[in-house]
Amino acid sequence: MQDLYIDATNTSPEVDFRFNEHQLVLRGESYPENAAAFFGPITEALREYLEQSQDQTIEVIIELTYFNSSSTKVLFNIFDMLNTAAANNTINLHWRHDEDDDTILEFGEDLHEDFPAINYIPESFES
Amino acid sequence: MSPDQASPAPKRSATTPNTAFDLKKSTLVASPELFSDDILHLFHEHAALDVIPIVEDTLPIGLVNRHVFMNEMARPYMREIYGRKSCIAFMDKQPLIVEENTPIQELSFRALAAGQKALSDGFIIVKNGAYTGVGSGFDLVDAVTKLQAEKSRMVMESIEYASVIQKSFLRPSQRDLAACLPDHVLLWEPRDVVGGDFFVFRHFDDGFFIAVIDCTGHGVPGAFMTLIMASLLDRLLQHGNPRDPASVMAEMNRMVKSILAQDGKHEDGGGSDDGMDTAFVWFNTAQRSMTWAAAKTPLFIVEPASSDAAPPVKVEQINGDRMGVGYRTTPMSHAWINHNLNLAPGSSVFITTDGIIDQPGGAKRIAFGKKRLKNMLTEHHSLPLMAQGSRIMQAFGTYQGEQTRRDDVTFFGFRP
Repeated sequence: MQDLYIDATNTSPEVDFRFNEHQLVLRGESYPENAAAFFGPITEALREYLEQSQDQTIEVIIELTYFNSSSTKVLFNIFDMLNTAAANNTINLHWRHDEDDDTILEFGEDLHEDFPAINYIPESFES
Repeated sequence: MSPDQASPAPKRSATTPNTAFDLKKSTLVASPELFSDDILHLFHEHAALDVIPIVEDTLPIGLVNRHVFMNEMARPYMREIYGRKSCIAFMDKQPLIVEENTPIQELSFRALAAGQKALSDGFIIVKNGAYTGVGSGFDLVDAVTKLQAEKSRMVMESIEYASVIQKSFLRPSQRDLAACLPDHVLLWEPRDVVGGDFFVFRHFDDGFFIAVIDCTGHGVPGAFMTLIMASLLDRLLQHGNPRDPASVMAEMNRMVKSILAQDGKHEDGGGSDDGMDTAFVWFNTAQRSMTWAAAKTPLFIVEPASSDAAPPVKVEQINGDRMGVGYRTTPMSHAWINHNLNLAPGSSVFITTDGIIDQPGGAKRIAFGKKRLKNMLTEHHSLPLMAQGSRIMQAFGTYQGEQTRRDDVTFFGFRP
C-alpha cells in the first residue's frame, strides 16, 4: 500500500503514514478551516490500511501541540478506527507531549479511558 | 508610414477599475510595413516607451518589447541583416489580446495563464477585434489589488455589522448580570470580530441562570450557531425549569440535533456536525446553593481559607461531562449530571471556554493550560473579579506573545 506523506503547514500537522513500516506519525498543530476536508483522504487511507492489517504491531506516534474542536472530532474517529483494529492487531499509541503541557497530557488520558484496546504509552519530552 | 496615434485614453474613474477598458492607455503603434530601423529610432526617441504594438489596419498582430528588440539588434550583423526588413522579425507574435469589456478578474487569470510576459510587456486591448490601446502589467496588478481590497472591505463591513447584532444579543445578559452580581467578570473576545462563544444570564425570583457557551467554529459560522443556541435556550428558560440545568441541557441536545438534522435520520453525509461545549449554572440566592451541568467545560471554585491552619486559598477544578451538546455522536437521550455545591461566603466561581486553556504560547509554544490559570486565580484571589480578569488577560496576552489567537475566548466569574 502507498505511504502517505503531507507536509505540515501553520494550521495543519505533518502526516507521515508509513503503512509499509506500520508506523503512523502525526506531528504539529491542527486547526484547518475545514478539518473534515483536510482529514478526509487521511482517514480514508488509514481505513484501507487497517482493513488489510492482521496480527500486525502498529506504532502510532502523535505529537500534537494544538488542535481545535473540529480536529478533535476527527482525531476521535481515527482513534475509534484504531481501537476497533486493535481486536486483530497490536496498536501502540505513543502520546508525545512536552513535560509541562498538562493540556495535551490530559487529552491523552481521556483517550486512554475511551479507547482501552489501544496500548496507551505517554511520552513526555523536554524542550 | 508614420506611426499613428491611438485614440485618447479613456477618462480614469476614481472608483476601482472593472474591465480592461478602465486600464486602457494610448501609445505609439507601428504598422508592419515599418522597418526594424524605424522601430530602433522610435525607441531611441521615446525613452519611456517599453513596448510598441504592431497593428495592421486595425488588427493587432504583435508586440515589440524594447529590451528584447534592443538586445537582438545589438548582436553582430543584425542591423545589417534586419535593419531594412519588416519590424515583425522581433515582435512577440502572440501577445495577450483582450476585449475592452473583459472583467478585471478574468483578465488577471488570462494574464497569469499567458505567463511572465503579460506582466512585463502588458497586453493589447481591442474592441470587436480592432486595436484600441494597451494595458500595463503594473496597472493590472494595481487594479486586482484594489478589487480585492474592495471585496474584503465589503466583507469586513458586513461582519462588523454582524458584530453589532451579536453584541446587542449579549447586552440584556450583561445588564442583568451587573445588576444581580456586582462582583463579577465577563470577558468576551471573539477571535474574528464575531464568534462562536456566547454568554447568557437570566434573573429569576429565587436565583439566576447562567450559561457559558462555546459553539463549534468561530467567525461567521460560529456566530450563526450562537444565535441558534441563544434562541433555543431562551425558549427553554421560558417554559422549562432553570433550577434543573441538566434537564435544560438534555432538552437542548434534543432540539439542536433535530433542527440541524443531526438526529441520525438524515444520513446523507453532507450535513452539519455542530453543537456546543457549555456549562449551565443555577444559583439559588437565599440558600447560596449552586446546581450545574457541564458539557466538556470545567468549573473552577476558589475558596478562601476556612481556618488559619488551612492554606490561604483553595482552587478546585470540577470537570464537565465529556459529552458535547447537539453533535451527531451525542446520543439523543444523553443525560448530563447535575452537580450541587453550597458556596461558602467569599468563594468565587469561574468558567472559561477552551480559548484560554488551549492557546499555545510561551517559550515552548505549548498550551496556556489549566494549571497556569489556577495559579493565577490563587495569586489574585483577593482582588475584585474584574481586576482579576484584567490581570489574567494581561498575562494571557503576554503568554500568547507572537502566536496568533487560535480560538474565541470567554472568561466568566462571579462572587455572590
